[in-house]
This record gives sequence, C-alpha cells and structure tokens, in this order.
Amino acid sequence: MRSSSAEEIAARILSAGGPFSVYVHLPFCAAKCPYCSFYSMVPAGGDVEEYCRLLARETSLYGSILKEGEARAATVYFGGGTPTMLSPDQWRALLGRVRDDLPAAPDAEISVEANPDSLTEEHLAAWSDLGVTRVSVGVQSLCDGELRLLERLHDAEKARRAVAMCVEAGFSTAADLIFGLPGQTLRSFANSADGVIGLGADHLSLYQLALDEGCRWFGSSEVAADGYRFYRWAQWHLPGRGFAQYEIASFALAGRECRHNMAYWTGGSVLALGAGAWGYAGGVRYHNERTVEGYRAAVEGRGGAVEESEELDDRGRAREAAVLLLRTSAGIGYDEFSARHGREQMSAILTALEEGAPADCFRRTGSSIALSSKGMRVANAIWRLII
Amino acid sequence: MRQEKIRNFCIIAHIDHGKSTLADRLLEETQTIESRDMKLQILDSLDLERERGITIKLVPVRMTYRAVDGGEYVLNLIDTPGHVDFGYEVSRSLAACEGALLVVDSTQGVEAQTLANAYMAVEQGLEILPVINKIDLPSSRPDYVIKEIEDVVGLDCSEVILASAKEGRGIVEILERIVRDVPPPGGDPEAPLQAMIFDSKYDNYKGVICYVRVVNGVLRPGRNIRFMATGGVFPLEEVGVLRPNFEPCAELTAGEVGYVVSNIKTVAEAHVGDTITDDIRPASRPLPGYRKVKPVVFCGFYPVERDEYPQLRDALEKLVLNDSAITFDPETSVALGFGFRCGFLGLLHMDVSKERLRREFDVELVATAPNVIYELVTKGGEIIEAHRPSDFPEIGEIDEVREPMIKLTLFVPSDYVGKVMKLCQDKRGVYVSMDYLAPDRVRLIYEIPLAEFIIDFHDKLKSQTRGFASLDYEHTGLRASNLVRVDVLINGEAADAFSFICHRDSAYTRGQAVVRKLKELIPSQLFEVPIQASIGKKVIVRQNVKPLRKDVLAKCYGGDITRKRKLLEKQKEGKKKMKQIGRVSIPQEAFLAFLKVEEDEE
Repeated sequence: MRSSSAEEIAARILSAGGPFSVYVHLPFCAAKCPYCSFYSMVPAGGDVEEYCRLLARETSLYGSILKEGEARAATVYFGGGTPTMLSPDQWRALLGRVRDDLPAAPDAEISVEANPDSLTEEHLAAWSDLGVTRVSVGVQSLCDGELRLLERLHDAEKARRAVAMCVEAGFSTAADLIFGLPGQTLRSFANSADGVIGLGADHLSLYQLALDEGCRWFGSSEVAADGYRFYRWAQWHLPGRGFAQYEIASFALAGRECRHNMAYWTGGSVLALGAGAWGYAGGVRYHNERTVEGYRAAVEGRGGAVEESEELDDRGRAREAAVLLLRTSAGIGYDEFSARHGREQMSAILTALEEGAPADCFRRTGSSIALSSKGMRVANAIWRLII
Repeated sequence: MRQEKIRNFCIIAHIDHGKSTLADRLLEETQTIESRDMKLQILDSLDLERERGITIKLVPVRMTYRAVDGGEYVLNLIDTPGHVDFGYEVSRSLAACEGALLVVDSTQGVEAQTLANAYMAVEQGLEILPVINKIDLPSSRPDYVIKEIEDVVGLDCSEVILASAKEGRGIVEILERIVRDVPPPGGDPEAPLQAMIFDSKYDNYKGVICYVRVVNGVLRPGRNIRFMATGGVFPLEEVGVLRPNFEPCAELTAGEVGYVVSNIKTVAEAHVGDTITDDIRPASRPLPGYRKVKPVVFCGFYPVERDEYPQLRDALEKLVLNDSAITFDPETSVALGFGFRCGFLGLLHMDVSKERLRREFDVELVATAPNVIYELVTKGGEIIEAHRPSDFPEIGEIDEVREPMIKLTLFVPSDYVGKVMKLCQDKRGVYVSMDYLAPDRVRLIYEIPLAEFIIDFHDKLKSQTRGFASLDYEHTGLRASNLVRVDVLINGEAADAFSFICHRDSAYTRGQAVVRKLKELIPSQLFEVPIQASIGKKVIVRQNVKPLRKDVLAKCYGGDITRKRKLLEKQKEGKKKMKQIGRVSIPQEAFLAFLKVEEDEE
C-alpha cells in the first residue's frame, strides 16, 4: 500500500482512455444499522453543508485535470451512508458542481441511493432537474417485522411509497432487499420481491445478511447463515418476471442493468470522491481518507484525499479481473481478456476452473465462460480456485 | 551385620487400601523419620497416580526396630509398583524380599491386582502376613474380608492383623510379626558378589542410582562392578542405605538392601533384574529371573506446536534417563508433522509417561491412538513385524496375522458381571473362567487381544461398573487372528493416514465410524466426494460428502473489491494448510479426530 496523489489518479484515468465512472460517497446516517460495518456519522448542524463544500473542492481539483482530456463520465453514482440526508438544495448545489466540473457523456447514467425514511418529492424534483436517471431505494424488506428487527427507520408502507414515488417521477428505480434474516420465510421474501416489482422497480439487488467485523451484531450467532433457499428461489422466480440475473446479486429488466456497477466488475476506471470512497484507475485501486475529519484535513491541506492505493502485479490484476468478470452473466470473453491480461493468464485461469469445478458450474460459448446459476451459488469456492 | 537381625519385606496393597499411610506409621514407630516431616517425604504422590489407580512407589527404606525380645532389627521396606503394566518389576521387588504384608481394606476386600501380586509372592516363597486395614471405619467388615482372603488368596488368617494405619492401631503388632515371622535373609558374604537391581532412578547429582538386594558377597566402594546382562563395568563409587535420605556406608553385605552409585549415565545401563557382580572375582552365573522388558504398546507423540519438536525430543531423552522401558523413534505424520513413535509396557505406562512429559517437562503433546505390534506371515513364508497399517502387505500376500494376547483377570461385583462379560466379548475376548469369590463378587478371566484392551477398555470398564471392578493382566503371547487392514479412499484416492487394522468382523462397524466421522469433518467441496472404506479392493462402506449448496459473498461494489479479494485470499491460505488428497482438501481436524475415532464410535 502506498498513497497516490490526486494528479496521479487523474492522469491514470486519462491514460486508461475511454469513458470513466464517478463514485461520490455521502457518509451520513440518521442512525447506524446494527448489521452495517461501514463508516458513517450522524451529522451535527453544519456538518453536511461543510462536507458538500469539501466535495466541491475535491471535484474541482479532478475536474481541472480531467477536462483537459477526451474522457467523459459514463456513469455517476451517489452512494452512502444515506444520500437523502442531504437537503434538496444541497443536492442541487452538489449535482450542479459535479455536472459542471466533470464532463459527462450525453447518455450518462446518474444514480442516487435513497432511503425511504428521508426521501421527499423535493429530492426527486431536484434530481430530475439535474439529470439523475436512476434511484436505488434501500427497501430491505416489505415486512414490518423484518424492518423492525433490522432497526430500519422506515416501515413497509414508507418503503412502498418511496418506490412508487421514484417510479412515478420517471426514474429507473432499483430496490435493495436483504435475505437470511432470523425468522424470515420464503413467503415473506417473495412478498418483498414481488411487492417492489409490482410497484414498478426495474432492478433488484439481493444480498444476504452478513455480519462483518465492525458492525454491532458482529459475532452474534442468532442470525441464520444459510441463505440458500432464498437465493435459490430468486434465481428460479425472478427471470420469469423478466428480471434476468446479470450478476451474483443483481437482477434487472432488460436494459435496466446498473452500468455503474458493471464498470466495477468489468474493470472500468472509477474516480472516487468523498470520505471513504473507493476508486480504480489504470490498475491502481485506491480509497480516500475514511473519516470525515481525515477527509477534511486532506482536502484542505493537499487538495486530494487519497489515503491508500495499491497496484497489483500482472498476475494479481488478471486474477482479480477474472473474479470480478465471473460475477456477471456475461462472464469472461476470451479475446478481450487475453488482449488485456495476456494469453497465458487466460489459459491458466481456464485450466484452474476446469480442473477445480464441475462442468455444470459454468455456461460456456466458443468465446466466453461464465458461471451458471449453480456456479453463482458457489461462486466463492470457484473464485478461490483462481485467486 | 548379622543376617538374622535383618528382615526384608514389602507391602502388597491396592490403591487406596492404605499402603502409604501404613508405611508412614511404620517409619514413625521406628523413629526413622519425625512425624512432622512425614507428609512431605512420603505422601509425595502424583495426582495422576491416584487418578489412574496406580499406587505410589516409595524408595526402599531402612528402619531400625527394637523388638519386644530386646533385639535390635534392621527392617528394609521395599515397595512394589502398584501398576498392572509393571508385572516384571513387581516380580523383581518381591525377589528382593523374604516377606510381604498383604494389606486389604476392610471395607473393600481383595482386588484383582492385589491377588495377582500376592500369588506372585507366594510363588516366590515369601512369607505373607495378612493385614486388614481401616478397621476404624464404620463400614468395615473384617470377618467378611478375612474369609475372602482365606477363600480367594488361600492364606491362613488365624493370625491376621487388624489395623488402622490412620489411627495407629496394629502397627507394633505388624512390626513384631515381621520380626517373628519373616525369615532372615540367607546368602553367603564370602561367596562371589551377586546383587540384584530391583529399581533404578536417575539423579541429577549422582547419576544413576541402583537400588539393590545383595544376595551373596559384599558390595564395597573402590572395586569395579560388572552388570552381568549388559556387560557394563563401572567403578563402585558409593553404597549406602535410605533412612529415607541417602546415607552412605562402608559396605553392603549379603542379605542387605541399599543403593549403589557407580557413575552410570542412563538407567538403560542398569536394567531392573540384572545382577551386579565383582569384575575381578565374578559370580559364575547371574541371579535367576532377569528378563529384558520390551515395549508392547506403541503410540505417536507429537508436539501441539510444531516448532516444539526439539523440546519434545529433549523431554523424551530426559524421561528415558529415568525409565528405560520407554522407546522412541522419530516419525512423521501428515496431520501432525514431526513426532516420535514411542513404546511402552502398557497403556497406563503410556498415560503416565505422557502426563510426566506434560507436568515435569512442560511439553504439550498430542498422543495418537495406541497400537500393538502384529506378526505377519507372508505367502512366501516370510515373517514381518508390523507396527502400523502401512507395514501390512496387500491382503493377497498375507498368509497369517498374529496378534499379542493377554490373560485378563477381573474382579467384579456380581451385579455387573453381565455388562463386563459383554464388554469383554465386544473386545473379542475369549471366556476362560468365572467363579464367585463371595456371593457378591465374581472373578472373571478372559483372554483378549492386547490391541482391544488398550483402546478404552479401562474407561469403559470403569464407567460400566461405576469404578467397582479391578483388573490385572499378563501377556500370553501371539495368536493367529483374522485381522485385516481397512483402507479409506477419499474421492477414489487412498488416504494412508486413515488406514487401520481390525478384526474382519468389526471392519464394517469401524469402517463406518471412520467414514461417518470423515463425512462430518470434510467440508463440502464443489464436487460430490465419495468416502469409502475397503478391505483390499473390496469396498465395504461408502458415504458421500454432498457438494456445496451455497457459498457466495452477496454484493461487491467499489470498496468491497479489495476487501473481498483479501477474504478470498485468506480462505485460500486456509485451504492450503489443509492436506490435499487428490483434489479434496482435508482439514487438520479430520486427522486428529481419526486418531481418537474409537472414542466416538457409539
């Protein structure tokens, strides 16, 4: 691990060529969920305002360099934390600055995460005015009991309303759902999934409750670990409703896949803005200062806020790329992969996959390999073969 | 010293029947030791010995006693190891005496090992004085126990001594009876030297100390002595007696008991039972009864922490300084790394040694399941000693397998006879005899394979009789037996570490236990993994480890990428530590569990 300067990151994005993605992190939450291990803070008066000012400075710094090149932002993603902790006015200022400083392609996908408890019509109006195309709603569940267990600040009704509002406002609308909760039944999970689909969501991210170190529930054993039946059910049920599994945890109607997330999995450049944001630029993975205080000090001191960066060697990069590509239903295209990482890497990876896992874990064409539905269920074990 | 004033005797007693307390009282009564020093000196017992039913072995002590007849007598108390694995050592201790106190707890009665040792004493012509101890206890039944001694041991109890070592009752009577009834030692002080070693120990300052009984001649420092079995010659540096501390003296003469120091470095050079003679004027033949003890039970000792191998080796070397019956040779195990294959006289000897390594040398170790040595006759007529399953040739090449047998004597309350007989039968025991020692106590004799005896027989006997059974055994040699090597195949590949030897009749049950355990412990893989047990090419048990159903990290976006890559790398590292058999990863626990699979069979 080392630390790169903002200038170096920007230069790498430019030299990688092609479109890039922008990730903006907004680390504020009204309360910390017990299963969340990510950094977040409950803002005091003025904290959000000041953070937006710092973001603006960081954005300008990168903008001044990136404007020089041909590259355009193909996707921008505002994640959290709870991005709806920002007021509509703060959103207008932030979006305006990002759009001004970072040149975006005309058809850019601009996504915002929203929490049902703090999403308002005014947010939607501001986003609509400033070109946001996609809203991802942190629904988690449409069962009140499950939401209470998760200590979410919203109930099922609020979640339904939030999804409906986004759909109504014309956004491509995604919903996050959790499975593997204590007491959760297949029926309640199906009810949540079908519920958000019925409201017009075009994208589902399904994830299993995982208690990583750092979360309040870490080490508690009452949480069910085996999410097999929920996941298996989703793989069976959702395609019938038009939601193809295009990635391990992602299901979407045709054309509504999240292009920003696809950029992560296919090795696209990502510019990171804000405290704790992660980026990727020409083989270097990096992240900004994790805490708001650290971020403030860095932006005010040196302009950029990169805390750590890591450049993998060729083999490591190829292996990581293969793992990420195998998350997607498109998988690894032999020609493209070989062109990027070399034929030796490609054939070594293929050999490891073929020897280590049964054939029915894969879907293969003459020019690509991807995980089958079964393969996706045991993807960890397959990735371990090649990491 | 005049021989007629010497009495050499030992105490035969079962654990907890009061031997140590009685010894204390004798030392006190003869003012050999002040009572305030008593506890430290004599009751210095290892918890372990108590736990495993082994009585404490005392150093030979010399007492001076002024008898009622006015004469002053030298009484030498020689202890016997109260340990079923040490039959030979017991026989040597008895051979150093002319008399024995047979101490029986008046609330318990005669136990199996006591009987075996008493018979050995009778065979060796010792005068036996029955002592009924603990008569102060309310549950004491002296009449019943006297009858048992008469019936079971066959001793005349008309002059039985009733004692309570705890309360000091009967102590003087015991001393008087020793003087009156135990014959003085014979032996010719003028004849060539013959002294029998009945025990030896290693001392950091003096080197090896041999405890001896001089049978003929005189031991005098300054001369060279010769160990007749090993052929070693050493200058005799010091002789003396224990009171109970070392007390050097000018000489030890025929009939006396004492210690010898002669610059010997390891106890392996001073075998119990060997005869010491004079190098210049040697005896024409050694004393009878010497035998080289050979280990019969083997197991692997491995350090818990792999890098503590040198510590384990050092500890074993030191242990062997004091206990030449232990053998050890380096070996490696796929599961445990570097360690030693160690040989012992029996299971208790093994347990005691393991505990001593832990307590005295501070070495934490893993012991593998014990095994015995088999003798194989091949179709070609060749005889092979097989220590481990891999020493067994292919089944088609074996003509006969022979295994060591023991004659097992059990004293069992009659209520438990059925259970104990079932246990013996389960352990492939062959019934020899059963008789009632008393209406509620039965003596059972079985001949059973040593291999079965050393696997949890004690524990099962204890649990099934609530501790009310006692046992003794003797080795009876090899017997042809229908033994087979059972191999374990994982995904079609033989996994040597899991092979074992067992009787053909139990191959299925044992094979199933191993396969079931492995199925539990081998994590699901991407493939279905068959686990099979086979005899030669014939598969007798098969179970499958079902393939993984779900193993996936759900979401993975920007920041997760590095984190999840590292997690995968860590998991992969963990997998590398597993032993690869074919393409199946086997965790360490599977190997460790196998080493004790028998315990979990039920």
